[in-house]
Amino acid sequence: MTSMFTPDTEWLTLEWHQATVAAGRLCMQRCSDCGRWRHPPRRYCAECFSSESSFVAVAGSGTVESYAVSYRSLDPAWQERAPYATLVVELDEGPRVLAVTELQPSEVAIGRRVDLRIDARSDDFAVLWADPAT
Amino acid sequence: MNLAGQAALVGIGETDYVRGSDQHVADLILQAAMEAITDAGMRPPDIDGVIPPPGFLSTEEIAAHLGIPDVAYHVSVLMGGASPTAALQTAAMAVTCGVAEAVLVCMGWNGYSALRPRADAKPTTRRMNVGPMGEAVRNVYAPYGLLSPAQQYSLYLRRYVDTYKLSEDGAAAVALACRAHAQLNDKALMRGRPLTREEYDASPFIAEPLRKFDCCVETDCATAVVVTTLERARDLPHRPVVYLGGAEGHPMPADEIINRPNLLELGIHRAAPRAFERAGLGPHDIDVLEIYDCFTYVVLLQLEALGYAEPGGASDFVTGGTIELGGRFPMNTHGGLLSQGHCWGLNHVVEAVRQLRHSAGKAQVPGAEVALVTGYGDLGDGSVAILGRDR
Repeated sequence: MTSMFTPDTEWLTLEWHQATVAAGRLCMQRCSDCGRWRHPPRRYCAECFSSESSFVAVAGSGTVESYAVSYRSLDPAWQERAPYATLVVELDEGPRVLAVTELQPSEVAIGRRVDLRIDARSDDFAVLWADPAT
Repeated sequence: MNLAGQAALVGIGETDYVRGSDQHVADLILQAAMEAITDAGMRPPDIDGVIPPPGFLSTEEIAAHLGIPDVAYHVSVLMGGASPTAALQTAAMAVTCGVAEAVLVCMGWNGYSALRPRADAKPTTRRMNVGPMGEAVRNVYAPYGLLSPAQQYSLYLRRYVDTYKLSEDGAAAVALACRAHAQLNDKALMRGRPLTREEYDASPFIAEPLRKFDCCVETDCATAVVVTTLERARDLPHRPVVYLGGAEGHPMPADEIINRPNLLELGIHRAAPRAFERAGLGPHDIDVLEIYDCFTYVVLLQLEALGYAEPGGASDFVTGGTIELGGRFPMNTHGGLLSQGHCWGLNHVVEAVRQLRHSAGKAQVPGAEVALVTGYGDLGDGSVAILGRDR
């Protein structure tokens, strides 16, 4: 299979990926002052406007909030997999992330429980995969 | 200061909508711009404000190539497809405050040829300014297989369809109405190619719930309008089209789709009530709708945000001929992005002007007095303009 596109990120996005790869678990940015989760990573908290935060490991399970089923992709590596589902997963902690999955589109439904797995492409980038919750 | 009734649209320009234009993208933009200036009864030196397209050609180049000697005001509006309609508000502000006397708003691109250059043409190196879309698509969506707007928007359109258990009837009604209206428009890409419900139903999915015929048509094209004060407009050749009010709105966060508290609350939901309040009008005061139709389901969401239906109810609103010529709210009388061509919605503004001048030919809505235009762009930004025929 052709390799999937992996971006060269920077700034807060890079920090998020590096924290997750280093921990070997999904980490999410959390406000050090009010505890609010921030995703995607932000400089200031939208609740208390604090600039202090850290990346904290989360349980890695959640619920499908929505999803896209793609039949056409400009990326040849993805076109080989079409049709494929990309999931919007609401983590049990609250923030939402995208996830790819080996589930067939017909097996995906809003409300379905999933567990997330880290696919580290490098020290600087990880892709999240969703598996049926165990 | 309320901008209502202070400014007017006095000139319009529009190229053909084609796939594989033999014109350079800069020539498309300049052709539409010169046509708009001429249509306004002006010459380039009468223009002193420029709002350029998001990329491709700068204000500095536009002024130099058209022969505009003294640009007093320039601003770029970067809201994707919401840009042109939002730009009308900025143009109205400029002429009302007196920082410029006449503002040229331009849009144009090689929306088809950029990805599929003609074998006999040298591809342009000019690019669009992708704004906030660029970061989100590269860092967040592309690694998950979502490269095109159809795929990215389906992240919330799926939620919309599932939440309200929508059939495809509403989306099909939008696609068919736009295609029917395009049959009346000499410049529409899809003129001569009518669409049936059977063909819609048989068309392949691109990204569920979007079928091929739920998606707009990529085209090479350009449009332009000229905005000046209503006072000056009354001395110009055409009956003025008055800027009655408008607004823009952005979801929070606007730079990313999936972490909004409500996936279905977009910029237009904030812009719509602001625009109606400023114009002192309501949804039922509108005679013609020109709704940004990058995708059919996005039209349905906007009609709900504008108050034409409760959430989930736009599908019922658009069926039964309501949005077709002859219905209560004729929509996208030029064919829209779905069937005329994709000029980022400035083609919707141009059509609204034609309707209010009563010069829309076979697509004319009899006695049209007030038109509403929306813009919709990037990851959910919205804009609204309410325009009226000068009395």
